[in-house]
Parts: sequence; C-alpha cells; structure tokens
Amino acid sequence: MPALGTFVLLAAFVVAAFAIAACVAGARTRSTRLVESGIGAFYTVTALMTLASGVLVHAFVTDNYAIKYVQRYSDSAQPLAYKIASYWGGLDGSIMFWVFLLAAFGAIAVQVNRVRHRELIPYVVAVIAATEMFFIYLMVVHKNPFSTFLTAAPVDGAGLNPLLQNFYMAIHPPSLYIGFVAMTIPFAFGIAALITGHLDDAWLRAVRRWTMIGWLFLSFGLTLGMLWAYEELGWGGYWGWDPVENAGLLPWFTATAFLHSVMVQERRGMLRVWNVTLVITTFFLTIFGTFMTRSGVVQSVHAFGEDRELAWLFTIFMVVILTFSFGLVIYRLPLLKSRNELDSWASREAAFLANNWILLFSAFFVLFATMFPTLSEAVKGERLTVGPPFFNKWMLPIGLTLLTLTGVGPLLAWRRSTMTNIVQQFTWPVVMGVLTAAALYAFGVRVWSSGLCFALCAFSATTITQEFLRGAGVRRAATGTDLFTGLVGLFGRSRRRYAGYIVHLGIVVMFLGFAGEGFKQEEQLPMKVGQQTTVGPFTVRHDSLRVTADAQKQMVTGHVSVFEDGKLVGEMRPARWYYEKRPDEPTTEVAIRRAPAEDLYIVLTTDFDPATQTVTYAITVNPLVNWIWLGFGILAIGSIISLLPESMFAVAMAKLPEAAVTTMLLLTLMPTAAFAQHIENPQAIRIAPRTQLEKELQSEIICMCGTCGRKRIGECTCGLAAQMRAEVAQMVSQGRSREQIYEFYMAKYGSQEPLASPIDKGFNRLAWLVPYLVGASGALMLGIVAVRWSRREEQPAEISQAAPGDDDPSMQQRLDDELRDLD
Amino acid sequence: MKTKALKIAATVLVLTGALGGLMYTSLAEGTEYYKHVDEVMTDPSAWHGKKLQLHGFVVDKSILRKPETLEYRFQIHNNGHVINASYTGVVPDTFKGGSEVVLKGQLGPNGFQVNHDGVMAKCPSKYEAKGPAATRGI
Repeated sequence: MPALGTFVLLAAFVVAAFAIAACVAGARTRSTRLVESGIGAFYTVTALMTLASGVLVHAFVTDNYAIKYVQRYSDSAQPLAYKIASYWGGLDGSIMFWVFLLAAFGAIAVQVNRVRHRELIPYVVAVIAATEMFFIYLMVVHKNPFSTFLTAAPVDGAGLNPLLQNFYMAIHPPSLYIGFVAMTIPFAFGIAALITGHLDDAWLRAVRRWTMIGWLFLSFGLTLGMLWAYEELGWGGYWGWDPVENAGLLPWFTATAFLHSVMVQERRGMLRVWNVTLVITTFFLTIFGTFMTRSGVVQSVHAFGEDRELAWLFTIFMVVILTFSFGLVIYRLPLLKSRNELDSWASREAAFLANNWILLFSAFFVLFATMFPTLSEAVKGERLTVGPPFFNKWMLPIGLTLLTLTGVGPLLAWRRSTMTNIVQQFTWPVVMGVLTAAALYAFGVRVWSSGLCFALCAFSATTITQEFLRGAGVRRAATGTDLFTGLVGLFGRSRRRYAGYIVHLGIVVMFLGFAGEGFKQEEQLPMKVGQQTTVGPFTVRHDSLRVTADAQKQMVTGHVSVFEDGKLVGEMRPARWYYEKRPDEPTTEVAIRRAPAEDLYIVLTTDFDPATQTVTYAITVNPLVNWIWLGFGILAIGSIISLLPESMFAVAMAKLPEAAVTTMLLLTLMPTAAFAQHIENPQAIRIAPRTQLEKELQSEIICMCGTCGRKRIGECTCGLAAQMRAEVAQMVSQGRSREQIYEFYMAKYGSQEPLASPIDKGFNRLAWLVPYLVGASGALMLGIVAVRWSRREEQPAEISQAAPGDDDPSMQQRLDDELRDLD
Repeated sequence: MKTKALKIAATVLVLTGALGGLMYTSLAEGTEYYKHVDEVMTDPSAWHGKKLQLHGFVVDKSILRKPETLEYRFQIHNNGHVINASYTGVVPDTFKGGSEVVLKGQLGPNGFQVNHDGVMAKCPSKYEAKGPAATRGI
C-alpha cells in the first residue's frame, strides 16, 4: 500500500507537469485539442490525489503502522473519527491534504468556468497545476507521508496529540485549508488575465466569487480556531496573536480589502493595478502563512518543528511567485490604466480606499510583529520579541476605525456626497451612537475602549438598519406589498449590497463580543473544600476533587458549585485528563457556563492535591463572548446570500401571495436558529428521542448532576442531563443494546460513585455532526453556484458616466441618491 | 498632474512617517529581550529593569512554595550561571526540577521577578513529538 501511495504521488507530479505543458502549448498554438488534453490531465491529478488520500486514510483506518506517518499520529485505541482526522494531524499529511483540496477546488473552478472564460482557462489550469506540483514535489523529495520504516515496524502507534483529540480537529484545519486553497483560484485567474491581456472586467466576476468563497471559509476557520482555543486550551481567551493564528489572519485582511476595492473597479474602473496586486498578495500570504507554520522560522505553540530544507524550498517558491506575478503586472501596466479619477474625498470610493489602506496596514503590521523576533535575530543578532499587549495596542484603534468605516462607507454616495446628503444620512446613526455612549457613561462604564466600541457598534448597526428600512420602504411604495416582502425583495434587487450589509452586521455583533474583553475578570487562588470565592456576579464553592480513570487516561475532576445572588445556579466540573501515552501533555477540560451576558469559565490548574483536596482554580468571567460566535453566524449567512443565485429571491420581487414570502423568511431564518442554538448553549440542545429504545432509556437513566434530586435524564433540565441524553442517542444510533448502554454507564460512573463524570463527553460526540452538515451545505452551495455560473449572465446595468452640472445642487443630489442606490 | 503626484507623495510620506514613528516608540516599550541565563549573568546590572524572556533550566529541588498560597521561589541555571526567581501564580504541568523553562519578567537586585502567567514550559513536543515520555507528575 505505501508503495502505491508513493507511486500515485509521483504519477500526480508527472501528470500535473503534462497539464501545464499541454495547456500552455495549446493556448499558444490555439489548439483546442491540446488544451482539452491539458484539462483532462488536470482532472486526472485530482483523481490521483483523491486516490492518494484514500490510500492514506485506509492506512490510518487499518492501523498500518509500517508507514511512519501513521505510526506517529495514530494508535489502535483512537476512535475512528480521530484516526481519519489524523490525516491532517502532522506536517506530511497536512501538505497532502492541502494538495488534495487544491486539486478538488481547482477542478470545480475549471469545470464551472471553462466555457465562459475559454481564453483564460489554459493558464488558470497551468497556474493551479504549478502550485500543485510544488507541494507534490515537497512531499516526494522531502516529506513523503507514505515513507515506511526500514526496520521492523512498531506494533502500535504513538497516538495523536491529546490536545488535537477533539472535534475541532475535524473541522478547523479543513476549513482553514479550504480558505487558503480557494485563494489560489482568484490568483490563477488573475495571472491568466495578465498573461492573455484579457483584462476587461469579466474575469473580475469569477475572481470576486472565488475570493468570497475563500473568505467565507477563512472566516469560518479563524472563528473555529478561536472556539478551539477558548474551549480546549483553557487560558481564558480566544485569540493570543500566536504566529499560526496570525498566518490565517494575514490573507483574511487582504482578501477583505479586495472584496471591497473590487467594487470600485466594477463601478468606476479605478484601482485596477491595486486589485490585481491584492489578489497576488492574498495568494502570496497564504503560501507565506504555510511557510511560517511549516518551516519553524517563527516559534509558536502550535507550529510544526524546525525544518531548514523546507524553509529553503518555500523561499524559492515564494520568490518565484513574486517575481513572476509582479513582473507580469509591470508588463501589463499599460492595460491596467485607471479609467477614472477620484472626484471627492467624501465619496464611497474614498471610503473604500481608506478601508483598503487600513486593512493592508493591519496585514503589514501583523506580519511585521509576527516576524519581529526572526527579523531582530537576523538584523541585530539578538532575539527580541513582542507580545500580545503590543498587538492589542495597535489593533485596537485599527479595529475601531474599521468598525467606524463599516458604518460610514455605505452612507456615502459614489463620486461625491453633498452636504445635505451627508446630514440626511448620518443624523440617526450619530444620534444613536452618542446616545449609547452617554447611556454607558451614565451607567458607570469607564473602560473607554469598550465604551467607544459599543457606541460605534450602535452607530454602525443603525446605519445598516436605516439602509434596510429605507430600501424596504421604497420597495413597498413601488410594489405595494408589505414591509417584509419588501425586505426580502431587496435581496432580489441588489443582492450583493444587502448581503454585504448582513455581513457588516455580523462584524458589528462580533465587535460587541470583542468589546466584552474589556470587562473580563479573573481570579486564581488555592481553595480548600468548602471554601468560596466571588468573581463578578458569581460565587464559586469548591466541593471536592475526584480522581478516576478509564482505559485511555486518568481524570482529575474538580466539583464546584456556582451561586448567583445567593442561589445555587449550577454545578461545574473542570478537569484535567492525563493520557497514558502522553502523561506530560494533560488536556485541560474547561468547564464553561454559557450565557448571552457572560460566560463563567473555570479551569482546574496544575496545582491540586488529591490527598488534601486542595485545588487552585483559574476562574474567569468573560462577558459577551458568545456574541462573537453569533456574529460569525450572521456573517456566514450574509456571505452565503451573496453567493446565492438571484432567482432565489424572485418570489419576493413580484406581487405574490404572502405564503411564499413567509416560507422564504423561514428558510432564511432557519440556519440562524440552528447556528444560534449550537453556539449559544450547546449543552442545552434538547433532542426528541428518535427511537423507542432511546425514549425508554431517557426515563431509565438518572441524571448524575447531583442537584436535581436524581431526576431522569428525560426530565432534568440541567446541562449534564442534556449531555447524557445526547450520549444515549449516540449509542442507540450506533446500534448498542440496552444492556451495553447500562454497562457503559456503570463502568463510567462506578457502582458507588455517581459523580465521576468528566463534563465534556456527550457534546463533543454530538458536535461531530456539525462538520458534516457544514460540508454538505458547502457542497450544496458550490452546486448552486456552479449551476448559476453555467448559465449566461445578464449584462450589468450600464451606469451613466455623464457628469452632472456642478451648478445644479438639486439635480446632483438626485443623481447621487440614484447612484448610491445602484447595487 | 504634477501637483497631484506631489500631493500623493506628501500624504504617503506623512502617513508612513507618523505610523513608523508611532511603531518605533511603541515597539521600544513592547519588546522583550530573549536571553539565556548565562548571557544575562555576565553583567546582571545592565539588564535591571529591562523586559526579559529568560531561558534556562530549573535547578533540581530548588522549587519552594509558601504554604496555601501561589507564591513560588526557585532557581534557574544555564552554563553554570544561576538566578533566583520568584513568581506568584499557577505553574504549567511540566514545571519541575530540571525542566526547561522560559520566564517572562524583569531582573532586579533580589533576583528575577516573573510576571503573572510568565512561566512557560519549553515544550519539546509540538505536533512533532520528540523525546521519551516522562513519568507522570500528579
């Protein structure tokens, strides 16, 4: 099997080389047959990479420890899901997974666009195939995931790092990788356009969509990374400016900048060089991010080990990318001339420009600060480092400025805003912002950064609401329907604009969550049994410390009672798990009590003594954290709407029976509810029993939370009962019998010791569903997009370029209003 | 055209100047020197008051803890040089005699004062595990 894997990789390398040669030659000689053959080869690479992935996954599943990579990242005790996820658990496999995703995405992109962008496709194929070749080369010569032990193979594997054994491992890396590889496709289109000189705006549409898809996945990946850090790592926060996190953030900044500035090009024909540069930079940063995390040039908690040779290979590749791409840009400069000039600083173009500068500066700043230790070592020979406070100091004002622009930008007219226009647009938002600030001050909020952030959130949220209400009002007047239909109709009329507002709303909600950080309260202290401490609104009492064990690990669990206003509101079970195979890397099982207002977050620290039952807890109150996850949900919905075909909203465009609209609304809201539930309080999801056995078990198993007076899990409302219900559901669906489930619980809790449970179990299993749902909806989305793209697109409405007479203010204002309303 | 280019150049210059200046000053406050114990101990007074990340090994059996508090005193060494360190807070799992650590804090006349949460165990295994598994420390 390993020999097959290596052979497939080699074959993929050769076939990719052929794809490049055939496509380039075909494009040069205008031979359709050659190009077709190249595209066929390109699809073959995808098939080969799928096969290689299959071989590796098969090796993991069948515990083939003759393969070094499998031996290192898996063991026989690991659950099947982690065995599969181990595919991308290490360096070699993650590179292969990268190529696999790139091949899959590339194939979709080529298939979707091969007719419409016929003249670009050969070069698109060549660029993607070249990128694939680089990564396959890395594997073949340096990091072959299929390399085997030359001596006798070990009988068991070393096991995946316990820190990675949670469900985020199954979705966070894939989603981030998809975000990364998706950025290759806009780059390929950009390069193809530069080579062929077909630099009209048609290629921009393809580029914009693929950037949007990549951006969505990148945002998803980053948010999941935050959740992972927050729930699993147990340091009380979600973002630590770790180099690996930053590596994901860099292309996010430039992609965001591109998604904004591309509108200026579509609308006004400006910023053409700039946009091409952004596309190239975004791609470059994805490669650079991979380089940073894979080669060990920066020190990070979760970077892979140091690897000089890999660093050199990457450096060469990056130099090639930069020289080649910017060489082409310079070569094509005459074709990239701007068609218009900036008319006024009080215009939407100018706001976009400001937004771009700030985003680009953010990218530059984060890059600089991340590389600073390495740079200082190279320049001064002395290792200087900068920590999170330095990042925060800079990114705080930058973030707030961006938040302000989120509100300001959409209110400005294209070309030039008049004074009346500005007053009319800004009155309400400014009033709301100031009112919020005043109210906060009156209520005694004195954290200026968070206070300002809240005020700006109010400002931006008001501008978005105002836009929606005005738009809906106009539609209602025009079509005579109700406000709701008008609202949905807005998406039919200018989907991108209003979907963009929803994304903005998501960002605003996320900023609410970030601002909560300013009110964070922390406490660490050693506690004896019965001792209490108060953090924020909560009083926490240490009840006991239990040590239990199962086949894989030893578990130390703290039992804590939580009181609010003198009333017992819950029990929490922070724990540390010591895996047999990795006793030096215990995992922190954080106990989180979630609420919209604040999370109570308790960590059992290293400092505990089972003999005296003394424990040090790190107790944190994290206000508003859940709004970050909710904000991402809103953002995702906005992005997906912008990628949906316009015809979906046609129902609300015409004067139609209201039933259709209601259905539409429900359809739109459904994912919100699902997201909100999952994010808000996963422990509280209540599932209706699906089978008779499950239903019976719900009244046969007793909740072990200890406070409910031994209620049945079907009746108890606490979080633990919900978890147990999910656990039961899981086991029933696995086909376990009633006796087996009984045995499981008896083994789990011990006969006389009902309170020995680690808290996180059931939720994780349930949450396994999420990646598949996300994957399925992603596939669905891609399908819809594909169908839409394969249709011929209607020409965008021509915009009148005639300048209004400067001497007629009323005429100008009307024109401004109308221009502003276009998309 | 010429005035426009001039304007752009001026704006870019002013902006980069201002941002660069700000960055430089805040960088001076924000940076920490990454040093090994012996590098610092050759001339300790030169490092007084500077932010440091100190790399060394915990001296065996040097860890003392004030009962019922989180106050620690211990020593770290490298290449024959030893520094006394004091710390208040929770220590990582791998913090024990002989382990390799990086301490964030400042050097004073009474030794090295470690910041809150400033003890980082230098973990040899990242994704790529190396070295034999040590014995459990519960």
